[in-house]
Amino acid sequence: MNRLPYAPYAVAAVLVALGAGNALAQKKTLVVGMASADAGKLDPHLTATTPDKGLLNWMFNGLVRIKPGQTSPEFIEPDIAESWTSNPAGTEWAFKIRSGVQCHHNYGEFTAEDAVYSIQRASTKATSAFSNDFSSFDKVDAPDKSTLKITLKNPVPGFLGYLANYHGGNMVCKKAGEEMGADFQKKPIGTGPFEFVEYQPQQYVKLRANKKYFRGAPQLEEIMYRYIPSDASRDLAFQAGELDMIYGKQEQTWVDRTAKLPGVKVAKVELAELSAIYLNTTVKPLDDIRVRQAIAHAIDRNGMVAFKGAGVSRPSVSIVPSGYLGTDEKAPLYAYDPEKAKKLLAEAGYPNGITIKTIHTTLPGMQSVIEAVQAQFKKANINLDVELVEHATFHAKIREDLSPIVHYQAARFPVADIYLTQFYHSRSQVKTPTAVTNFTHCKLADQDIEAARVEPDAAKQKALWKTAQEKLIKEVCGVPIHEQMQIWAYKDSLDLGYELVGSLNLSPPITEKTHFTK
Amino acid sequence: MTGFLVRRLSFAVVTLFAVLTLVFLLVRIVPGDPAQVILGDQASREAIDALRVRLGLDMPVWQQYLTFLGGALRGDWGVSMVTGRPVIEEVLKVLPWTLELTFVSLILGTVIGVPLGVWAAVNRNRAVDYASRISSLLGLSFPPFVSAILLLLAFAIALPWFPVISARTGSPVAWFQSIALPAINLGLITAAYITRVTRSAMLDVLAEDYVRTARAKGVPWRAVVWRHALRNALIPVITVIGLYLGILIGNSVLTEIVFSRPGLGKLIVGALNQRDYTMLQGMMVIYTLVVVLVNLLTDLAYGVADPRVKLQ
Repeated sequence: MNRLPYAPYAVAAVLVALGAGNALAQKKTLVVGMASADAGKLDPHLTATTPDKGLLNWMFNGLVRIKPGQTSPEFIEPDIAESWTSNPAGTEWAFKIRSGVQCHHNYGEFTAEDAVYSIQRASTKATSAFSNDFSSFDKVDAPDKSTLKITLKNPVPGFLGYLANYHGGNMVCKKAGEEMGADFQKKPIGTGPFEFVEYQPQQYVKLRANKKYFRGAPQLEEIMYRYIPSDASRDLAFQAGELDMIYGKQEQTWVDRTAKLPGVKVAKVELAELSAIYLNTTVKPLDDIRVRQAIAHAIDRNGMVAFKGAGVSRPSVSIVPSGYLGTDEKAPLYAYDPEKAKKLLAEAGYPNGITIKTIHTTLPGMQSVIEAVQAQFKKANINLDVELVEHATFHAKIREDLSPIVHYQAARFPVADIYLTQFYHSRSQVKTPTAVTNFTHCKLADQDIEAARVEPDAAKQKALWKTAQEKLIKEVCGVPIHEQMQIWAYKDSLDLGYELVGSLNLSPPITEKTHFTK
Repeated sequence: MTGFLVRRLSFAVVTLFAVLTLVFLLVRIVPGDPAQVILGDQASREAIDALRVRLGLDMPVWQQYLTFLGGALRGDWGVSMVTGRPVIEEVLKVLPWTLELTFVSLILGTVIGVPLGVWAAVNRNRAVDYASRISSLLGLSFPPFVSAILLLLAFAIALPWFPVISARTGSPVAWFQSIALPAINLGLITAAYITRVTRSAMLDVLAEDYVRTARAKGVPWRAVVWRHALRNALIPVITVIGLYLGILIGNSVLTEIVFSRPGLGKLIVGALNQRDYTMLQGMMVIYTLVVVLVNLLTDLAYGVADPRVKLQ
């Protein structure tokens, strides 16, 4: 008679014991929860998404790398290449390839020939999404097994960054690339501290330690990279101890709540994404500079940070994110002054204010920003008519030049040239064959951007970038709002093995030194 | 019977063809470019156009349609535009997860719903009836993602009996741990539907003359209810179960996401967000096939439940 009431407790005891068993087994296994439903393309030359880059980061090396935990090119150090030299003009480079670097799954030693293959693969449109980054590469040769020579058509600012373990700079082993062709993404072969083991659709990618890693065998044995799109489920799994590290929400309340969990670290990680609005300077009423100035005066950068939270954001400093090589950290941005904005509108012939349309994504993090901008604009008699569309539709419509104001949030390789070129150079103007993301139709800084790109003197180069930023800000082509940090949370028993300031690939690097302390 | 099957299967082919054409056109009407999604927001127009050529998206729509139909007839569903992996391989890898969740939920819903509906009907306007009506109303009103989170909070966090990531395999215990909460979540909603339909059908049947006759003859009440009345009330219940199976597969989307389980739901949401045309087309074929098959099985089940129903 009394047996039945104990049955649930017995079942619970068994389940808890099983759970405890799993927890013990995880000490050498890092389980990561990523905010994505599934893997995209597991090929470093073909993917630009945060979930894919974050994972591939642990499998691949570059010829050089930015010191783990840092993002600035000033921290560039040897990776597969142990040293390099260049001519004074910066157009001819020679790299000495480290000996003993092994490709995963017994694909042999990585040599200069592999480096040539990898760079050529990354430069080819058919096999790379980053072929444009290599447009200034003239010749790539391997005179011997340990020497790689690169000749450039012209000097490239931040050249070494293109050979770092980021986007097209990730080194792919020739034999594996040629043997697998388009199937490479099913079993990506790199040289990094962790090698690919298994992919289960919508569940996880499993990596294991590369015991032959040239910097020494990793202390962790395995990484489980789990795809968990639901924020609530990811949080609960982290709280329940099923995950050791998670991609966090860019919200102050999330940071505050998660930081209070026992044994948890929350990290604010560079690269920050710059949130800015881009004004089409060729359509009415935005073709009138007074209207654009009114818009610039209507943006309250500090107010936006107060709204988003200082733990996840910071005010913008220029039209290029702060901390990039060439960012004007004290750029002459327009001050918040809604009264002045109203006066400028009246001078432009709009005493009762204006209504402007914007097409915007429903992505929650970005939608909350445009709603706050809408409220700020109201104080300056600017009525922002927001047409909300789903994210892929948003990207299609803004590239069709259908939105007079475009709100965009992005991080790029931290050199000013890339941000200025993609968002403000006339070659990048939308609806042209060379379009990227210039929604402004501005071209007044083209010459400065181009001159800076080939300027060998670092000080002069910075001065040219500063001039470009000043011109574009004065002309109000774009109005920066705030910078949004990447947020990660992990158990404090996880020692990353370095100080985490940021990551080019947007996920904390997991290196041979990363380990659990208990 | 054979004639019935042949006729139904030929209708299924027509339905499939109509669905395929509709899906093919609809996904292309919606703005958004798979090439843009694949290459990311830093890709130049030139690179995007080059990829569009490789994906065959530069061809006229009618030509794309013919290519697609040709492939479909040969059983070739192509590769996902975004991941490059074969569509059929992707679908088959996750299909068992969705089918498993759907069937376990349906069984759970039926096992709870039918007896509860009968019990409520037999005790019409008594406390039991009111309780079952209120609980089924609650079940119908609760969004599955809310009940899913509540279940996780209760049985994975407060009482750590089950995992939050409900996708374990390898042993019967692991399987049970993974299926329990998602199946309860969907099963309770299913039970709510089935309870209401069973109650209503039973009330009609219990008022029939033959039920009164059986009672007057002295047939035990239990036999009257379960053997005579329920059997005659089963047709609408089977209809609802059949219809609900299709809805369940759709409803599984949110449950799969919250419980971090693989499944068709997650695949279709991902394909929609990424404008993965080939994947969407392949998925729709599977969905249509499942719904057509379930409807066929439902029709066949009528004959089993009530021999008076002839399949013509």
